[in-house]
Amino acid sequence: MHEAFITRHSYEVINDIVIYPLWSIIVFGFLTIYLAGVAGAAVAHYVLIGMILWQIINITQYSIAVGCLWDVWARNLTNIFITPISIGEYLIAYTISGAVKALVVIILGGILSFLVFRFNILQVGLVNFWLYFINLVLFAFTFGIIILSLVFRFGTRIQAFAWGLITFFQPLMAVIYPVSILPEPLKTIAYIFPPTYVFEAARTSLGTPQIQWLPSLMALFLNMVWFLLAVVFFNLMFRQSREIGQFAKLEG
Amino acid sequence: MNILSVSHLTKKFNLPTGGFTAVNNISFELKEGEILGLLGPNGAGKTTTIQMLLGIIIPTAGSIHYFAKDFFRHRQYCLGKINYASAFNTLQGRTTVMENLLVFSELYAVADPKKKILELLEYFEMTALANERYWDLSSGERTRINLIKSLLNDPQLILMDEPTASLDPDIADKTMSLIEKLKKDKRMSILFTSHNMAEVTRICDRVIFLDRGDIVAQDTPLGLTKSIKKTELQLTFDTGKDLIQQYVTEHSLKHNFINGHVVVIQTAEKQIPKVIFGISKKGVWMTDIEVRKPTLEDVFLQIARGKPHEFTKD
Repeated sequence: MHEAFITRHSYEVINDIVIYPLWSIIVFGFLTIYLAGVAGAAVAHYVLIGMILWQIINITQYSIAVGCLWDVWARNLTNIFITPISIGEYLIAYTISGAVKALVVIILGGILSFLVFRFNILQVGLVNFWLYFINLVLFAFTFGIIILSLVFRFGTRIQAFAWGLITFFQPLMAVIYPVSILPEPLKTIAYIFPPTYVFEAARTSLGTPQIQWLPSLMALFLNMVWFLLAVVFFNLMFRQSREIGQFAKLEG
Repeated sequence: MNILSVSHLTKKFNLPTGGFTAVNNISFELKEGEILGLLGPNGAGKTTTIQMLLGIIIPTAGSIHYFAKDFFRHRQYCLGKINYASAFNTLQGRTTVMENLLVFSELYAVADPKKKILELLEYFEMTALANERYWDLSSGERTRINLIKSLLNDPQLILMDEPTASLDPDIADKTMSLIEKLKKDKRMSILFTSHNMAEVTRICDRVIFLDRGDIVAQDTPLGLTKSIKKTELQLTFDTGKDLIQQYVTEHSLKHNFINGHVVVIQTAEKQIPKVIFGISKKGVWMTDIEVRKPTLEDVFLQIARGKPHEFTKD
């Protein structure tokens, strides 16, 4: 409800989570038209499916990290944190809101790419789509928790991480190209990230109707590991923030 | 029953420049329906204490109990029964008053939130602003909306951190009247911090003075002012400065000549008639007499400066 009210009154939020992702899909859609001519339709579709699925991570993690920052900027965070909700409920609420927004944008992006670029996102298969969606939301949730941990601990001086840090890791997740083209040391790092399995599986599923259980389960397993580590990290940072008074200073 | 019990609460910060104790082993209680003032100069530890009481700063030592329950073990239960209003926190500026209050109603699981919000808006005469964006409101209006937010869950205790800071005297007075009305109508307990001693004297049943993290005094506002024995007598006169000087010297009275026609003499309250009569008897023609009894502000200044008012004794 809180998110919906803020979003309704904030052009920049609508821009960041609706217009900008759709615009990215359009830009990459035109790139795929060019690529289809020089490298074939398959390569072009690899790029487009990657960019569309990337928006799930982008929007969900943005929703968690920037959602919290809206309260910091408004000096409303203390008011929220002294209500009887737990920190877990707070984070899950933002994740649900982020996932809903991501789903809406993906549906819009899917319609757009079908109408303009003749690419059907459900070509990956409905079950596969949901497996990818769930894994990417889980990763975005975990990444959002890590960002919030850092914001709580180090304050708003690192607030740019909320919308910028994820793009730093984007090249390692092989979003629009296969992992095989990465240099050897980076390949190992790439497979630490759950989304790498999702993007690889998505490219595979464009050419075959089979359900991508194995990479999806691998991504799910890694997501659980990442999530547990993120929760430990969050608890450590959140506690330190309240011990040193940084949390109280966030609004000062 | 004690609504709040604080025992040996301590907060130490490790700074690059060395350790710093913001709150040092303080203990106090707050009873049902009581308004307790937490006062002290800047850096005394008031805000740190409030932040510990809200759980946004973790204490180094000590315990906090609300309604006889340990705050850190029953955080959600306790937070459901208390609330907080401060001039330094605002609500979400982009959303409307009603939207803000609806969000907090959900967070506090208020039954029938719209009805509750409309009741409170009416109580505070703010119904007309329900659909205004919060950042379009004046400071006074925001203060009242913050108070409404703090009443959504029918709290048994409200922590108020300088709720009238930055308000003009008229709005501050109205806010104080509302707090008085709340105390009377809802029998609410309030922990109140302010730098305005007149406000504290007006609404607080009891006052705790903090200085550099320690409780240095606690009593009723009247009890604290009575701890300052001396009353100030300000006399305005046409001529006779030498005669007044002679009288105060003879009687070893602390005094301060503001200018050639005004003197402030410090004396016990019951000695005032004797002093006036004595000076008059020396032939001084007094055109104005003003008696200034000690106020909570004098107590505050005494504590903040670490010494009583300085009076020259020439």
